[in-house]
Amino acid sequence: MRIAGAGGLALAWVALLYGAPAQAVGVTVTVKAKIAEGAGPKDAIVVLDPLDFKPPPSHDTAVVDQMDKQFVPQVTVVRTGTAVSFPNSDQIKHDVYSNYPPKRFELKLYAGVPAQPVVFDTPGLEALGCNVHDKMKAFVGIVDSPYFAKIRRLGVSGSVTINVPAGHYVVHVWHPDLGARVPGQTIEVKGEPVAVSFDLDLTGIPDPTAAWPFP
Amino acid sequence: MKLRTRIAVTFLMLLAAILAVALTAVSSANHGNAAAELKRQLDVGESVFNRVLKTNLAQLTLAAEVVAADTGFRAAVADRDNVTLISVLENSGARIKAAMVVLTSLDGEVIAASGSHAAAGEPFPERRLFVRRLGPDGETLPNTTFMVEDGRIYQVVAVVVNSPLPVAWVVMGFELDRKAALELRDITGLGVTLSAGSAAGSRTIVSTAPSGQLPDSTLETRRIVLAETAGATIVATLSKSLAEAMTAFDRLTNFLYWIAASSLAVSAYAAFWLARNITRPLRAITSVVDRIRAGSYDVPIAEQRQDELGALAEGLRVMQAAVQSRDSSIRRLAYEDTLTGLMNRTAFNAQLDAALAQPDAAIAVAVINLHRFRRINEHLGYAVGDAVLKTIAARLTQNGHAVGKVARLAADQFAAFAAMRPSDSLETWGATLMVRLAEPVVVESQPIDISASAGLALAPADARTADELLRCADLAQERARRHKSGIARYEPNMMPAGRDQLSLLGELRHAVDHDELRLYFQPKIELSSHRVAGAEALLRWQHPTRGLLGPAAFIPFAEQAGFIRQITRWALEQSIACAAEWYRGGRALAVSVNVTVDDISDARFHLRVANALVRHQLPPGLLTLEVTESGFIEEPERALAMLDALAALGIKLAIDDFGTGYSSLSHLARMPVHELKIDQSFVRGLESDPEFATVVKSAIDMGHSLGLQVVAEGIETENSARQLAAMQCDIAQGYLYAKPMPRPEFERWTLHRDFVPVLATPTDLKASELSDTAAFAFL
Repeated sequence: MRIAGAGGLALAWVALLYGAPAQAVGVTVTVKAKIAEGAGPKDAIVVLDPLDFKPPPSHDTAVVDQMDKQFVPQVTVVRTGTAVSFPNSDQIKHDVYSNYPPKRFELKLYAGVPAQPVVFDTPGLEALGCNVHDKMKAFVGIVDSPYFAKIRRLGVSGSVTINVPAGHYVVHVWHPDLGARVPGQTIEVKGEPVAVSFDLDLTGIPDPTAAWPFP
Repeated sequence: MKLRTRIAVTFLMLLAAILAVALTAVSSANHGNAAAELKRQLDVGESVFNRVLKTNLAQLTLAAEVVAADTGFRAAVADRDNVTLISVLENSGARIKAAMVVLTSLDGEVIAASGSHAAAGEPFPERRLFVRRLGPDGETLPNTTFMVEDGRIYQVVAVVVNSPLPVAWVVMGFELDRKAALELRDITGLGVTLSAGSAAGSRTIVSTAPSGQLPDSTLETRRIVLAETAGATIVATLSKSLAEAMTAFDRLTNFLYWIAASSLAVSAYAAFWLARNITRPLRAITSVVDRIRAGSYDVPIAEQRQDELGALAEGLRVMQAAVQSRDSSIRRLAYEDTLTGLMNRTAFNAQLDAALAQPDAAIAVAVINLHRFRRINEHLGYAVGDAVLKTIAARLTQNGHAVGKVARLAADQFAAFAAMRPSDSLETWGATLMVRLAEPVVVESQPIDISASAGLALAPADARTADELLRCADLAQERARRHKSGIARYEPNMMPAGRDQLSLLGELRHAVDHDELRLYFQPKIELSSHRVAGAEALLRWQHPTRGLLGPAAFIPFAEQAGFIRQITRWALEQSIACAAEWYRGGRALAVSVNVTVDDISDARFHLRVANALVRHQLPPGLLTLEVTESGFIEEPERALAMLDALAALGIKLAIDDFGTGYSSLSHLARMPVHELKIDQSFVRGLESDPEFATVVKSAIDMGHSLGLQVVAEGIETENSARQLAAMQCDIAQGYLYAKPMPRPEFERWTLHRDFVPVLATPTDLKASELSDTAAFAFL
């Protein structure tokens, strides 16, 4: 529910910034996936990257919790500049780290809520781990666009609708099990809702960083 | 092949065959066991080998994973802090003595390496290590393989470094060097060879086999492919020599061979020993059989056994005795007279010949005939006859050295021969023999008189061979028998004129059938009146080549050959015919015909005479039959009976050659004779010896006193004729008056003579009166 809360918050923020809601047009992105047998559903990220303007930096906050030796949620997307908090809801300690370029950090073994959130001020894909629990893994996508959403627990198909102002966008899709980047689809949003669909092949060797659609 | 060898060889070959089969089976089983054992060892070895490699892999993987999960190491990877990375790699490699520790990118590009295995920035040679495979949770699985690098073989593993996404590979490897191979060999008990192959060929990298060892053809191998790519193959070869595996079995097999050889040797000895024990008595028996075959029966058969061979020996012993018995009885039958036990003719001839073969041998031979032996058999029985013969044989052989060798040649004929020393006399020796026969033989308390005659011959004077000597002695015996002299020595004139007796007999038959015999007549003169009283018919043989022969030349032989009856029959027939003709011509002239003992022993003789008289119508009074005294000696009763029968016919009978025999006066008195003919030997002696005159006078007186007419033969001088006349001899016969003449000459001679009148009554014999008509058929 926290994830849903975060998504709703972002949309509300965009609507507030760019004027009347009547101007917003829904872009429905439908994803069909070919999934490996036995693979569990994971959240996919959909981002509409505006071509007509450069969005301003964000000062949002987000939370990635740790429960039952798992990051919750395991896929998070935030605007560049968002401060993400990593509370530890387990009774045991965790040592959260990232060795990836957007933000290299390590939260030494801790319990409870760290004093300072981590601010992700560079776009990119952050892979998080716990130094004492190798199986704990989470992704934080950092994007400049304010128009993004997650398709939760994507199975063979799923869709999401993002309301955006009229204009030109490139629609990107990412999933943790993708082995390569999926080409974005450029669309022009006018007064009518737009439908975009992607076919994903999730059966290969995952390479999430290579599949991250942004430079 | 000898039986002994055959038995032994058969058993040995059988045993050898059994042993060969057994050994082959054992050897084959051993070989099979060894091969199976070897395969099992290879199976186990392969399993152990794989297990060791797996353990190695686990160790490598664990070590690599430890490194990969290290926080500091992950940080160093992220920082590309190569110095730190190398030290970490070396450190972790040292922990497990890994020969190779390398860090590569996910693409396999070398980032850092311990030692000098790879240079940073270059791709790691074994690309297969970097193929990513995912586990069930999406984790990247470690890769492992074997690789050849710088001529060494490594077992390598690649473990991904998650940070937390896969960012790099930690490659860690053990070198499979000689030390490792030796360890594997010690664990598996197998030879371990590691080799790398490519399209160009295979080369051995590491081997536990000592270098320079020759390839073993019996090597059993198990090939384990460790890694295989298009270009290269890494192979581990586990090996063990079958010969090595066979070693234990070989010891067993060798032991078995040793046992087989020993048992074969022992069996060979036993087989030969047994075979020899079986065949040794057989050989002994065989040699006995050989000796029996050669005619030696007195070899004892020594085998005393309870088994079959003993039975065989016993059978041989019985057979030997039987053969010996039969052999000796055959010899006896062949060379011995079964009745008396004396030699037979065959043996006697052989021994005589052998004696004659001695140089300068003077051998005396005697042939002894028993007289009247047939009568003994006929009247007293054959048992008595046999007893007589046995007694005589015993007597002859008693004190054998004085007699010499004695044989029985025929039923009543014995023979003896002895070597004569110069001082010995043949006659004395002969007398020695005859003395032994002088005593009567007593059989069943009955004395039996034996009379015998013996003939003597002496080698080499008379003959030089046994056959000839015996014949000479036989001829002498004939002479002795005829002359009643008891014993006679052979003289050359006894041998019939140099002609073979068989051919003489044939010639005699021919003479009778072809009228070669002639009748000569010699007149008989009444001394008182000088008138012709009759004639004696005398036989001559007009022989085709030898001329005219007197009776002495063939009558004795004809008697001996049993041919005298035919001759007598001829003479009687001719004489009667002659006399009958004269009688019918008006001349009643009595004719005398000589008959022999043999003739009057013919029971039908009188019938024949009667028949001839009837046929020729001759009055019986005109026929006189002259019989010698000897005719009454052998069988006087029978002879007397015949004389009576003849006298009953009305014919006259005369005793011929009176004075030479031993006729007893009692016999003489009983004989129905009419005439006594004094032997001419007495007549010839009249002039020279006064003694003879006395004898002749006595004979004449005796004849007269018995009422007989007395005839003197062989008168050649007037003087003797006067003397005989003075002695009142009735009739004279001799050359003084006339020699024997053929019939025509005799008839001419009688033409002018006066005849003594004869009461010539016509025959009163009628054919119908003859009791036995069969006599006619016989004639």
